Amino acid sequence: MSKDLNIWLDNLLEDIESVQFRRKSSRRVRVDVAAEALPALLELLQGHASYVHLSAITCVDWIEEDEFELIYHLWSYEAHSLVSAHTRIPRDPGVYLSIYDLYQPAAFFERDIHEMFGVYFEGSPDMEKFILTEWNGPPPMRKDFDSEAFVNQTFEWEEYRPKWLEEIEAEGGGITTRPEDVRR
Amino acid sequence: MRPENYQAISQPASNEYELNFGPNHPGIEGNYAFRVKLNGDTVVSARADAGYLHRGFEKLMEGRLWIQNIALVPRICVPDPVPMEVCYSLAIEDLCGLEVPERAQWIRVMQLEMSRLAAHLFAFGGHAATTGMYTPMFWGVADRDLILDRFEELTGGRVYSIYNIPGGVRREVPEGFLGRLSSLLDYLESRLPDYDSLFFTNQVFVKRARGVGTLTQEKALKWGVTGPNLRATGLAFDVRRDDPYLVYDRLEFDIPTEQGGDALARNLIRRAELKQSIHILRQVIERLPSVTGPIRAPIPNPLAWNVPAGETYTRVESSKGELAYYIVSDGSDKPYRVHVRGPSAMHAVQVLEKLAIGSRLEDIAQIMFSLDACPPEVDR
Amino acid sequence: MSELQKIPVQSETTTVGGSAKRTNPLAHVFDDLMNFCRARSMFMLHYCTGCGAIELPPAMTSRFDMERLGIQPMVTPRQADILLITGYVSVKTLKRIILTYEQMAAPKYVIGICSCTVNGGMYWQSYATAKVLKDYLPVDVYIAGCMPRPEAVIEGLKDLMDDIKTGQAENWKRYFQNYDHYLGNQQKLFGEDWQTPTDIIAEARHYGLMTDNTLGEHTALLEKHQRPLEALGMRLKNREKQARE
Repeated sequence: MSKDLNIWLDNLLEDIESVQFRRKSSRRVRVDVAAEALPALLELLQGHASYVHLSAITCVDWIEEDEFELIYHLWSYEAHSLVSAHTRIPRDPGVYLSIYDLYQPAAFFERDIHEMFGVYFEGSPDMEKFILTEWNGPPPMRKDFDSEAFVNQTFEWEEYRPKWLEEIEAEGGGITTRPEDVRR
Repeated sequence: MRPENYQAISQPASNEYELNFGPNHPGIEGNYAFRVKLNGDTVVSARADAGYLHRGFEKLMEGRLWIQNIALVPRICVPDPVPMEVCYSLAIEDLCGLEVPERAQWIRVMQLEMSRLAAHLFAFGGHAATTGMYTPMFWGVADRDLILDRFEELTGGRVYSIYNIPGGVRREVPEGFLGRLSSLLDYLESRLPDYDSLFFTNQVFVKRARGVGTLTQEKALKWGVTGPNLRATGLAFDVRRDDPYLVYDRLEFDIPTEQGGDALARNLIRRAELKQSIHILRQVIERLPSVTGPIRAPIPNPLAWNVPAGETYTRVESSKGELAYYIVSDGSDKPYRVHVRGPSAMHAVQVLEKLAIGSRLEDIAQIMFSLDACPPEVDR
Repeated sequence: MSELQKIPVQSETTTVGGSAKRTNPLAHVFDDLMNFCRARSMFMLHYCTGCGAIELPPAMTSRFDMERLGIQPMVTPRQADILLITGYVSVKTLKRIILTYEQMAAPKYVIGICSCTVNGGMYWQSYATAKVLKDYLPVDVYIAGCMPRPEAVIEGLKDLMDDIKTGQAENWKRYFQNYDHYLGNQQKLFGEDWQTPTDIIAEARHYGLMTDNTLGEHTALLEKHQRPLEALGMRLKNREKQARE
């Protein structure tokens, strides 16, 4: 029964034109859809193909292509297969529809993506800050935010002058290569 | 007071009281807070307040080499760090197409089940402490310490072992380790009747925990609950059985389920899973000496290792639920994006907020511990 | 006897340092007795601030048993002696730690467990954790490790006990004496309108621990933003009284 469901799903998805479909292994499927068509695809998967479990929503920041990629991972308890639905939205307004009315766990992920990437989900029940309530800077997971530069600006480091180093320096030696020069 | 002198003063509902069930509280597992509105003793609404343990893991992992992230990854889930390492390693092996040798797979299964035992002992020990029964907590922590001794012998570290790398495990199993592990399992099995009489079938605990935080199967599926919490409502779903990884498809184990869906059922599930983990470990101990071969697949120089471009979604069953990693690589020596989906992301936030409504104030701690909600996984 | 002399009388002006002259040659005996008792009955605040907290239950329970040394967990900061910072401190937690620290009654001790409190540790690149803990609070003992074993934690606590017995663990006074420096670091991280309900300057004045470093530019900012506590105004309009007038 579950194998038939997979075969039926493969055939269905191949037929739809605006959907690019690739089965990576017996339990992993990758689907690429346009941003407007994604909620309809998710409704189809949930209602007709038993994909009731939303495992995660991931956001990837493709800064060179000026786009955010949103990936919805759905798992079916009956077909034992995972469908990852990929879609791209332009980086500039960074707004998308929420799927809270289909999948309730989406509220957590959408709130998380909103505060980490700045993507706004219309229709999501709660877009308030959750983890970064004491943070006033830009959305930290974006690729144009440099964490190390921020740290060097905001925090001071502990002075590290151990005795053995002072003894070596008194004899004329010392550190020749600093750690910052070795790291890329 | 004369009626003409009476002026109604508008004030909020005088029987509602907002309480900060704050981070400094022994009833909260870890560093987490709730804003709870109470009507007398009953909770009217609860809002979770996370972020006290936020370290920006996903950003940190993008700035480090693939092999350096192995040191970061176990710190995401503190009581149960091994599934995190294994999941990360499995994801990289999937991206590279590395074939893990069979002996390494059996050793990984052994570690995962040992970690599951330790995490369950800690979880129901903590739950016992919230109901005021401190003896099971002392016993749970002490027995867990014996498992941590075995971890220290095998990997060198009690809690964060950093023993799994992409390609296999780092060191061979020491001489006599399997014998000592086997006698530890005998000891744990002999302790289970003691735990039963003091905790699991003790009427004090049963009356206290029955009916607290009841989840029905439809609600659990709708809210994205996974792991022992879902099995406590009757659905036998386990990532080890339905989406198998490593050598779980060659091992024999049952998936225990309960029907109640309340705090008592969740604890009984954990007790049944202890027995199942011991059963799996015994099979591994029997099988491991006859599986020979290398413990590590050859990988290129880790300091200059370009993992091929691609993306993968790997899932593992941790002691709390379904743990998943989504890794995107763009062909360089650092990850492009690592997304960690911890099981407590659902349990500690939405499920706990909804289950707390209608329960009493003293039951919130019980619900949190019985769901085994781990705040570092929410905050990352 | 010397303890009574330390409590300042209302009419006295503030003195730097604060301790009255000891004329009694046996005065130190009482001090030593107090330190001896204090070292053997320490209550640690049961606030698990970070990942190192997972090695605290093994240290507290029967295997490694901190309780035989007199160390017991306590849930409220008002009655606790030791604030254990177990691990890294995120910015959100640091605010709560400072609030908790100021609520604790003197003498109080801060122990920084794990390497993350020393110099940022493993999360040195992270935008959300504080790097050097002693910029924000005076720290008595650091216990390095990631994470330190329960035996190492007990060893660190024994070091603290030795320091208390010899009278060297007086870092809580440094908070009052250098409040401007600590407040400056806190304001740099949390913003200029950072304030806590505890009035540190008044306490420093009362205990006689005020120095030139207690007030400064940062406390001037604090005065600008400080809101005094207002009494709750709940009054009924008294029409009868108005009618009579």
